[in-house]
Amino acid sequence: MKSADLHQTARKPRAPRRRADRGTGWSVLASLLWLPQAALLATAVQWIAEGRAAEVDGLALGLLALGVAKAWCDGHGMRLSFDAARTELQTLRAQVVQALASSSPLDTQRVPSGQAASAVAEQAEAIVPWLSRYQTAMWRTTVVPLVLLLAVAWQSWVAALILLMAAPLIPLFMAIVGWRAQAASEAHMVQLGQMNAFLLDRLRGLTTLRALGAVDATAQRLRTHAESLRQRTMRVLRIAFLSSAVLELFSALGVAMVAVYVGFHLLGYLEFGTWHGRLSLGEALFVLLLAPSFFEPLRELSAVWHDRAAGEAALQTLQRMASGAQPLPGAQVVTNAAAAPAPEPTLQPATAAAARVTLQALQVQAPGAAVQLAPIHADIQPGEHVALWGASGSGKSVLLAQIAGLLPSTQGKVLVDGVPMADDTAVALRRRMAWMGQHPHVFAGSVARNISVDRHDVVSADMGPAMQLAGLGGVLQARPSSSLGEGGQGLSGGEAVRLALARLAVATSHAGVLLVDEPTAHLDPATAAQVTEALLRLAEGRTLVVATHDPLLAARMDRVVHLQVQEAEA
Amino acid sequence: MKPARIPLRTMLAALAAMAPRRLWLSGMALACLTVLMGMALLGLSGWFIAATALAGLVPATALVFDVFMPSAGIRLLALGRTGARYGERLVTHDATLAVLAALRERLFRSWAPAGAAWQLRLRPARWLQRLTSDVDALDSLYLRLAVPLVSACGAALLAAVVLGAMQWQLGLALGLWLLLVGMGIAVLLALRARRPALRRAAALERLRAQAVDLVAGQTDLLMAGRLPAQCARLAATEQAVAQADRQLNRLEARATTAYGMAGALTLAGVLLAVGWLAEQGVIGAPGAALALLVALAAMEPFAALRRGAVEAGRTWLSIKRLAPLVVQAPAAINTEVNLPSDGAAVELVHASAQHRGSPQWALQAVDVRIAAGSHVAVIGASGAGKSTLLSLVAGELPAVQGRVAALPSTWLTQRTELFQDSLRDNLLLARFDASDALLWQALEDAGLAADVRAMPLGLETRLGEGGLGLSGGQARRLALARLSLHPAPVWLLDEPTEGLDAATARDVLACLGSQMKGHTVIVATHLRREAETADRLLWVEGGRLRGDALRGTADFDNLLARLRDDATAPAVHAMAKGF
Repeated sequence: MKSADLHQTARKPRAPRRRADRGTGWSVLASLLWLPQAALLATAVQWIAEGRAAEVDGLALGLLALGVAKAWCDGHGMRLSFDAARTELQTLRAQVVQALASSSPLDTQRVPSGQAASAVAEQAEAIVPWLSRYQTAMWRTTVVPLVLLLAVAWQSWVAALILLMAAPLIPLFMAIVGWRAQAASEAHMVQLGQMNAFLLDRLRGLTTLRALGAVDATAQRLRTHAESLRQRTMRVLRIAFLSSAVLELFSALGVAMVAVYVGFHLLGYLEFGTWHGRLSLGEALFVLLLAPSFFEPLRELSAVWHDRAAGEAALQTLQRMASGAQPLPGAQVVTNAAAAPAPEPTLQPATAAAARVTLQALQVQAPGAAVQLAPIHADIQPGEHVALWGASGSGKSVLLAQIAGLLPSTQGKVLVDGVPMADDTAVALRRRMAWMGQHPHVFAGSVARNISVDRHDVVSADMGPAMQLAGLGGVLQARPSSSLGEGGQGLSGGEAVRLALARLAVATSHAGVLLVDEPTAHLDPATAAQVTEALLRLAEGRTLVVATHDPLLAARMDRVVHLQVQEAEA
Repeated sequence: MKPARIPLRTMLAALAAMAPRRLWLSGMALACLTVLMGMALLGLSGWFIAATALAGLVPATALVFDVFMPSAGIRLLALGRTGARYGERLVTHDATLAVLAALRERLFRSWAPAGAAWQLRLRPARWLQRLTSDVDALDSLYLRLAVPLVSACGAALLAAVVLGAMQWQLGLALGLWLLLVGMGIAVLLALRARRPALRRAAALERLRAQAVDLVAGQTDLLMAGRLPAQCARLAATEQAVAQADRQLNRLEARATTAYGMAGALTLAGVLLAVGWLAEQGVIGAPGAALALLVALAAMEPFAALRRGAVEAGRTWLSIKRLAPLVVQAPAAINTEVNLPSDGAAVELVHASAQHRGSPQWALQAVDVRIAAGSHVAVIGASGAGKSTLLSLVAGELPAVQGRVAALPSTWLTQRTELFQDSLRDNLLLARFDASDALLWQALEDAGLAADVRAMPLGLETRLGEGGLGLSGGQARRLALARLSLHPAPVWLLDEPTEGLDAATARDVLACLGSQMKGHTVIVATHLRREAETADRLLWVEGGRLRGDALRGTADFDNLLARLRDDATAPAVHAMAKGF
């Protein structure tokens, strides 16, 4: 719903399944079982009319048996159709997760995390109701009315004709009305989504609204907004519901006309329309009983139509998320959790020994951005501490990402101890690096989990010193199992940096290269100084590359590399 | 939020009060009418055919048979049913939308009091997401439980009356049977589906959080070698959702089968009964046809309860979670701020403050008097208590001890908070009756007028989430323009140029400086550029006021020297060379 705007421009999704699932067969069978049931029921009334009321016991037993069989088929079909659709969703979700994990974090086309999450979680839920019911409804609509029509025609061609006339009119009118209805139901969902977005937006900015004294006015606006949405939605629904009203009308009129025709026929006013004289009561009733069932599948289909819009939208979003992204070097190895063998024996065990980082004619280029820097040649000695210095946007962060292999290098090479960063070496090389990004993500979970990032090789004994070093004192240290909120709402900027520092600290046990992006940005001087000291302590005997525009931090490095943006040649 | 127990009735009453009663009732009445007319149509048709068949046997009776009334009735029912159904769908949706509209306003207001707004800030984004899914889940209560329940009861009643007219014991038995079995299956389904439904809701929430972690924390996971593990974790959660989904489907399928079987039993039982009645001569074939067709349709409306029953656990959960917000606003903390004595804008007397859930003092025994019209910078490390001081002055946080007196103030928050709305509406938040001329003047003063004029829609330009569509500097200027429109004499600025690059920050500060005249301005900052224009510095550390210096004193310069200055070029430039 929320990302409804996402899928307006995209192509139509391909329906994932054209073949009917096994459940469909059972559902169709259940619908057809009504045929013998109706026959038994009609016979029973015929017998009562003939004064054979005492003999209906057997018919009742038959009705019961058929009813039980029908009920079972219904339930069984539901189960099978659901399973098929649910498997589909599971595959789709897995594909999307794989795609998200194996695209480069620097890809500009990436969906924001919140949007990705609601697509994978809530929106995707719309797929199962659609897939599990749509196929069944389609098949029922194709098969059942035809069979029932034949059964009715066998008794009376006029009754069949009445049904046949009513039925094709339904799709016709529905198409006319449904044209708008489809758009209407989509608009309806989008608007409901907007209503949610409006509330969330204003709740997020409540402090400001309070500060401006605008609470009351905003509440009123929220109300008017919601009320006007309601009015607009109702205007749309009035048309949208017409399509189902047309269906109802024709099916009700169809039944009524069959009933009236049969009644008049039985009275002898309309003698025509049958194959062999006047219908018996039983035959007449049989025809009447089949009439509503003739329209039933169509009604079901129209109900499923409602699921279709949401389902297709979700499918489209997921399929788009699962395709086409800037690849992450070594992504296949990275994300294939099931297929990945234990670390290959050829890999050197990760050591904390300082590594040499060599850049050979490396072109620093963010995805989709213009080249700004001349190719870089650099040789960073083991244990050397280097600052990357440059204006914001000069490519410091991109260069760091390229060293870490977060982004494929189009031109030039990154070598770590002589091993080039490539698809097959990326995983092993990354194991020798520790990373501290500019905006460390705070995971939903405990402080301990946030520091270890679930690494098995981090024992709780490591955690204390790491927190100590990062200065992550006070409340957090007192309760390492306390849970942190999504997006780090519970942490101040300084605390988030300290958390990242602790994360870096536990990672250094096996890493000889530290890659750090703007560790002291937006910190007050005291905190910045503490972070700098802690970082230097961690980097002792290790190679450190830090992107920064903090002069105090840069001054503590062995070398400062100035990334100079190329002047446009006149 | 403390889980105050709120009786279900109170909650339902509060929800019911959100839409006009006539909407609720007419929705249910129309739904019931739809079902009844459908049954009547079938029953009457059956009776008509049976009666005409019998009358048709003898030409004399065929001629006198009144065909007009039944056939008119059949047509009337056919049309009436369609109309009722259309009306039902419109009215029930209207009622639900009305509740959704009112509920949103109520939820918003419930978080508006001072203390509550502060609590809300500490809540994770996840909580807000959950709030909306809770609101959405409430639909089910009326559309899938209340409405089908009423029509099902109506159907049972009609079936009972029709058969009761033939023989009252039979009618009574059928009515009771329908109610008992029809409701029984739904109740059983709801009870058994409760746990899987709750598990499913929880697993979905987990799936969401893990997906956020995967996308936003990808680099951290990757560098820790835990990306495959996170994918596996997501797969496991999806498996849990799938399992709960499957369980719910199995329960629903079983309920479908149960309703089908109950329907078959009803039909067979009624057939036996009418057979017996016909034998006794109580009814003839038309009566039998009527009874059978009514019985045939009587169980159907109960089956419509399935979906509502499956979702009942989830609905119940959202009622429980929303109840405290809907029925009673979160307890507002008493934050009355007194007016200060003459000449002062702010007076804190031995004021101490504490954040909810934290054992430590956020601010302890602070004594300070700020003269009206002065420009004060509160400096200190992050977490020292700067923002807390501003909160006290703004009345967002109560003083646990001591006294706070302040003139009315407005606050520029650290994170620029702009709304998904037009530029005009974002500005009007500060002063609702502001004319366009005034808005343009404010934009002019904030140095944003030229930018806005360049936008094709001008003041009507719509902003995205969090002011999307504006650069950081533009967003800050817009917030400044909004601030200047507000009539409050005291401005509280929390790190007003945080996150801006040096050049932009300079422009924004210059622009701010030109507008400050006539206001008391208190800036919380750790940046030198924001503090150096102040008349007075207050140094806060560890929740205490450690220093207080007026411009021109040595203390002032010393304090200022502590602050970071990232606007000037570093000396290291000299040694910086390309490789």
